[in-house]
Formats: sequence, C-alpha cells, structure tokens
Amino acid sequence: MLDFVVIFTKGGVVLWHSNASGSSFASCINSLIRGVILEDRNTEAKYFEEDHLAVQFKLDNELDLVYAAIFQKVIKLNYLDGFLADMQLAFKEKFGGIPAAERLGGDYDFDREYRRVLSAAEEASAKQVKAPKAMRSYNESQKSKKTVASMIQDDKKPAEKRVNIQESPPPSKSQQSSPPASMDDIIRENRRKLREKLTPTKKTSPSDPKPSKSTASEKAGKKPRVWDLGGNSKDAVMLDRSKDTPEDVQYQNINSELVGTMQGVIRDLDVESEDEVEDDDESSEEEEQVQSKKNKRGGLLSYFKGIVGAKTMSLGDLQPALEKMRDHLISKNVATEIAAKLCDSVATSLEGKQMGTFDSIASQVKEALTQSLVRILSPKRRIDIIRDALESKRNGRPYTIIFCGVNGVGKSTNLAKICFWLIENNFNVLIAACDTFRAGAVEQLRTHTRHLNALHPAAKHDGRTMVQLYEKGYGKDAAGIAMEAIKFAHDTRVDVVLVDTAGRMQDNEPLMRSLSKLIKVNNPDLVLFVGEALVGNEAVDQLVKFNQSLADYSSNENPHIIDGIVLTKFDTIDDKVGAAISMTYITGQPIVFVGTGQTYADLKAINVNAVVNSLMK
Amino acid sequence: MDKLNENARERKQIKLGEIDTGPILVALLLGFIAVAIFVILRRRSAGRRDFLLAGLSESGKSAIFMQLLHGKFPATFTSIKENVEVYQAGSSSARLVDIPGHYRVRDKCLELYKHRAKGIVFVVDSVTAQKEIRDVADFLYTILSDSATQPCSVLVLCNKQDQTTAKSAQVIKGLLEKELHIVRDTRSRKLQSVGDDDSSKSITLGKPGRDFEFTHIAQNIQFVEASAKDQELKPLTDWLARLL
Repeated sequence: MLDFVVIFTKGGVVLWHSNASGSSFASCINSLIRGVILEDRNTEAKYFEEDHLAVQFKLDNELDLVYAAIFQKVIKLNYLDGFLADMQLAFKEKFGGIPAAERLGGDYDFDREYRRVLSAAEEASAKQVKAPKAMRSYNESQKSKKTVASMIQDDKKPAEKRVNIQESPPPSKSQQSSPPASMDDIIRENRRKLREKLTPTKKTSPSDPKPSKSTASEKAGKKPRVWDLGGNSKDAVMLDRSKDTPEDVQYQNINSELVGTMQGVIRDLDVESEDEVEDDDESSEEEEQVQSKKNKRGGLLSYFKGIVGAKTMSLGDLQPALEKMRDHLISKNVATEIAAKLCDSVATSLEGKQMGTFDSIASQVKEALTQSLVRILSPKRRIDIIRDALESKRNGRPYTIIFCGVNGVGKSTNLAKICFWLIENNFNVLIAACDTFRAGAVEQLRTHTRHLNALHPAAKHDGRTMVQLYEKGYGKDAAGIAMEAIKFAHDTRVDVVLVDTAGRMQDNEPLMRSLSKLIKVNNPDLVLFVGEALVGNEAVDQLVKFNQSLADYSSNENPHIIDGIVLTKFDTIDDKVGAAISMTYITGQPIVFVGTGQTYADLKAINVNAVVNSLMK
Repeated sequence: MDKLNENARERKQIKLGEIDTGPILVALLLGFIAVAIFVILRRRSAGRRDFLLAGLSESGKSAIFMQLLHGKFPATFTSIKENVEVYQAGSSSARLVDIPGHYRVRDKCLELYKHRAKGIVFVVDSVTAQKEIRDVADFLYTILSDSATQPCSVLVLCNKQDQTTAKSAQVIKGLLEKELHIVRDTRSRKLQSVGDDDSSKSITLGKPGRDFEFTHIAQNIQFVEASAKDQELKPLTDWLARLL
C-alpha cells in the first residue's frame, strides 16, 4: 500500500529508500520540498497531495533528516503518523551514534527495521478498526451543550423557530477559510426564498398604486419622462464636461528635473531613516565601540557553547516564545492567519532541535523566524522585466503586463510610474485603457501620456512617440479593447503594452469573471496584482479570492494566475510592513515593484533584508 | 636596626597606601587590547579555505558532492540546507560546501560562505543550458559581481556530459558570454531598492564599452566538462589539487 518510503537529509542526499512499485517518485518529492518545506507551509498536517499521489512527511530537526512516505491519494492510511514516528525512533536507535562528519558516507541498511515497524503499524491500525466504537459520554454529547430554554417547544410560534434553525448552519459554513462560490450562491438563494415565503404581503402592495399613477400622467398630456440616470449616446456630447481637447489643455509646469533620474542609480528610501538622522557623531562612535565589545564577548562565549552540553527543545518550551512572536508580527500588520501559520511552521522546524546552554529559546525562535521570513520574501524565480522585455522585442512580439486589484489601490498611478521607468530605459510603451467603468479613468491616462511625452519628446528618441494611449471610451468590453490594443502594438512594433483594468471587489462574481476572461483571451506575459501596504487581514481575503477566481473561471488546465505583486503606498507605513509578508505568503509570488509616493520617480524594488529587519525590530 | 625596620615599614606603607593605580590600569588595558587584536587577526587569517559548489537547481551539485567525497552516486532531491564536509587531496584538505540551488535559499546561503571562499565551482546542466541560459547567466553574474568573491578562482563545470544532447564547454562559454553582455546592461538599469543596501556593493564586470568576455573580469575563470554519473570528475579534482 505504501508505494515509496524514503529517508533523506536536508542537504538532499537519500540515505535509504524502499520502492514497492517500479516508477520514480523524484518529481513528487521535489514538489513536496519546493511546495511545502521551502515555502514554510509545514503546519500540523504534514500532508501534501500531487496528481494521484499523496505524501506524508516528518521532519527530524536534530539529525537534519526528512522521512517521507508516498501512497495513492485514494487510499486513506491512518497509521502513517505513528508509523513515521516509530521509523524515526528506530532509525535513531540504529544509526544515531554516527558522528555528523561520517553521516553521508555510511551504508544504511534499514530494510529489516522498516518491515518490522510497518507490520507493527498495520496490525495496530487493523485492531483499531475492528474495535467497536466507544459510546460518547454525556459530557461529549450534543445535548449537554444546548441550553434548557432552547429545548422548550412552543407550539404557538412555529415560524420563528424555522428561521432560527435555518440561519445557524450558513454562518458556520461561511466561517470556513475558502468556501466554494457556488455554496454562497445556494445559501443566498435559499435565504431569499425563505424570506419571500415568510412575508407574503410584500409582493401585492406595489401593484396597487401603479395604475392610478399612470392614469394621472395620461391626463396631463404625454410628455416623455426624463430619468436622472438615463439617456443615450446622443446626449453624450452635451454631457461631456471634460476639458480634454488639445486647445483646452493648459500645460502646467512639467517636472523636467525628473528626466534621467530613473536610469541606473536613484535616491534611496531608508526604511530606518528616522533613527539614523537623530544620531550624533559622538553617540554613534560610542555605539560602535559598545557593539564591537559585545561582538567580542559573543565570540568568547561561542567558544564555550560548543563545550557545554545540549538541551533539546520541546513544543511546550517553544509555545510562550512563539506566542510573543506571533503577537509581535500581528502588531506589525501581518494578517492574523498568516502569523499563526508562520509560528506553527517555525515550531515544527525547531522541535527536537538541540541547543547550547548559552542559547535562549527566544533567540533561537527569533533566528528561525527571521530565516523563514527571508525565505518567504525572497523571490522563487528570477525577476528581470527589462531582460524579458528585450527577449520579447527580439521575437517581434510586445511584452504585455496586466494590472489588477481592488478599488483605490493605485493601479493607474503605478502604471504611469512603471511606464516612466520603461521609457527611461528606451522602451516604446502602449497604454491600453481597459478601465471603462470609472469616471475619468481614460482622461487620467491621457494626462499621464501627455506628461510623459513632454518629458521624453519624440525628438529625443528618433522621432518615435514613446508613450501612446489606446482607448475606446467608456462602457465597452475590456477584453476586446485589450485584444485590439495588443494587435495594434504588434502591428506598429511597440515594445511593451501596459493594460489598466478597473478596480473590483474580490467577491463580485461577474466582475471577476470578466477579469478572468480578459486574462485568458489576451494571454499576457505578466499579471500583476496591485495591493496597498496599508491593508491588514483583508489582504488574505483579496488574494485568495482573486487567485481562486482566476483559476476557476478560466477553462484552461493551466490557468494563468497572479505572477507578481506591486506593493503600493509604502511611504505611508513606517515599519509596519507586514502586508508584504501576508501577500507573498499567500500567493508564493514575489513582490516586483514597490510604490513609495505619487511622483514618477517613486518606484523602487524590494529589499528583503530591510523589510525583515523592520519586521523583527 | 629599628630605624631600618621603620624605614622598611614606612616604605611598605607608602607602597600599599599610594599605589599608583594609573600604570596598572594602563597595563591591563594594553594587555586586553593586545589579546583582542590577536583574536581578531587570527579570525581574519582563518581566511579563505573553502570551496563552494553553486549552480541552478537540478544541475547536479549534490551528486558531484557525494561522488567527490564518498565515491557514491545516490539519488538526490532538491537540497534545503547546505552540505559541508572536508575534502582531502593528498596532504592538504579544505572544506567543500554544497550550496542549495533553489532560488529562495541560495542567496542567504551564499552570504554565509562567500567570505571564506577560495574557489567557486559553478555547475551547469549541459543539456538544458540553452533553454535556461538566462537564469544561469543571472546567477553567474550575481556571483561574479559580488565584492566578496573577487579574489576567488572560478571553475565552470559543464555537468551531465554523459547525455548525448549535452553541449560542449566551448559552446556554453560562448552562450554565456553573449548572455552576460546583455545581463550587464539590464542590471545597470535596475530599480534601486527600498532601504539601505551598502553591505554588498556590486561591481560592473568587464570593460563597459566592449562586448563582454571572460578574460576581462578580475577572477580567474575556466571551463571544463564532467559527468557525475560516469564518475568523470578528473578535471575537477585536478583543479582542486592545483588550488590547495
């Protein structure tokens, strides 16, 4: 039943394995490592699924080993936890004495012990299945949890009772972390039907006053009714209040000093700038001396660390320190769920590890947490937009980037900043105005285009206009406009296309469908989710639902989900940079840009060490 | 006699009473500083004695590590942590560090070991080198342009030569030169990052005006072919022996 059991070191070398079927399971184990262990998602479950296989694994932090068992997903084996723990004990018994230096060289003959442990585990589980299920005691039953008042039946008011009973299951269902969208719909439908059933008088009431109103208007002489929000496209000319024709535009003073600033080296934004400004020269010197002495003292103590005996850490020891760390993270604006999961993952990676007497648990926990934060924030693939854009240019196609996000996070502003950076680096840009809903969206982009073209006039770039705007006004289909824009870019040999979409709430199903259609139809190179750094727990909800909608509503096998994150309004948070962690943890995708202000030069890349430092401060 | 005793007692009292604490403190301080300087110098001269095995994921670093040190070829998975062991070549020995190739952990791991590195072995998968040339060049550029690795010697090992579609070392060298030329250009246009970052200033490689060539950089770089599966690691062992 177990297809593959393997023991390998954290350095990747297999020490022992038992392959019951002939095929190779290397890809499954590699996905386990890359998807779970390296992403710091080792929660209590320690279970991972891929295709038709499932893996149960266990980390041994003392000897730096991983024990993994692969089986078919459909077979549920409930003895695996105990089995892996027994394997660990048996392995430690037999080979624990080998010193670290020779660990990789030894031959590990573990087959006999493995068969013994496996048969013991199988017997134990068989016995457990056969044993009759013990009856629940009164305290465990449902009845003891109900109050007396709820159990009194009152025959005079049956309707209210019905409402009560139906209302309680839906809230509990909605508390689940990721309910499927169809469940929500079904619940909403049911509730609506129930309300209609209970209040039957509502339907007939509007019908009565209607006939009297219509007769009164007929008597006064027929005049077409002018609705406030109605009208057709013929009125558009009258309603167009935009001062947007070239004659009306007054050229304000353009910030020409911005030209040339985004090439290469740009002024830094310090995350810890306030502290450094306040330091005097004298006090900084003293601090350096004190620090160097502390380092020396630490160095002397580290000689002793190796000599004094070791103590292993247990979960109970780690809990208080982890609680404090979790509260600290939450105070830095990390989402609650994410902080809890991170602390769980740190607990599993530290459990059973030996520590020297001069190490405190708090320092070990802090170090492990810092390491896992750095790991989460580090990108998992190479990000180099200029390099990829050059590659697309060489292949003769435009490089397409789509910006999506909820309302008001700064999509259009940051699109303009990225556009400025690209034209500074000599790329031709086409902006596609696919926000056909928000008033003034197209005008905003037009103003940006004009400003950018004034900063980089065509004369300086061989007579080519660097930035063009592709727009079709309001009310049209965004996916169609994007497709036409990309085709136009292809025909006129534009290098990069930036697509601006309308802001939408994550649980608005029709809008999420239209976003998914936009992405599916146009097949962009990069889908960037724009999120603001001020967001707290909401970040979890936004990203989960966005990713899920993109995956669900696309009919492909490999849907194109979010590829990167743009973190905006970074200058408004001092050191509460937790939103960065929440967002990268949920999607696993890197933060590509950071927006730090409202001028064109306020675009930076993320510095992992600085963010982690300010989180752990 | 009494006078002598009195004088002696007076002198003793004087000595005990007015012990000039100044010079003693100065002596202690000097001694402390001397010891501290000694310790620091010893640490610094522990100097560069490590060899690093770096490269992309799945290029064969852990396999080479096991082959070199234990003569075995077990199955290997993606490394989570580095493998560190002592490598013996005749009379001299050095530490061999196998840095995990996965993007998330490689930078942090490299950070820990690059200051004590004497030589870097950059392992390239010869079969997929063409497809992944951008990632390979990116990593190689990061390693070469780091200020801490300037005095190191670099060996680019084209692994997996036992496969029929493996490219030769010369071809890979040409591909890398062209790609590094472009990477140098795009790196100079990158955005500055949020927060301080003067701990590891990067250096522009080669001569700015001309095409990138490996002869222009500060490190001593060589290209060899090898295969961990067939135990064809002679070029690597020769290079290691030469450097030890």
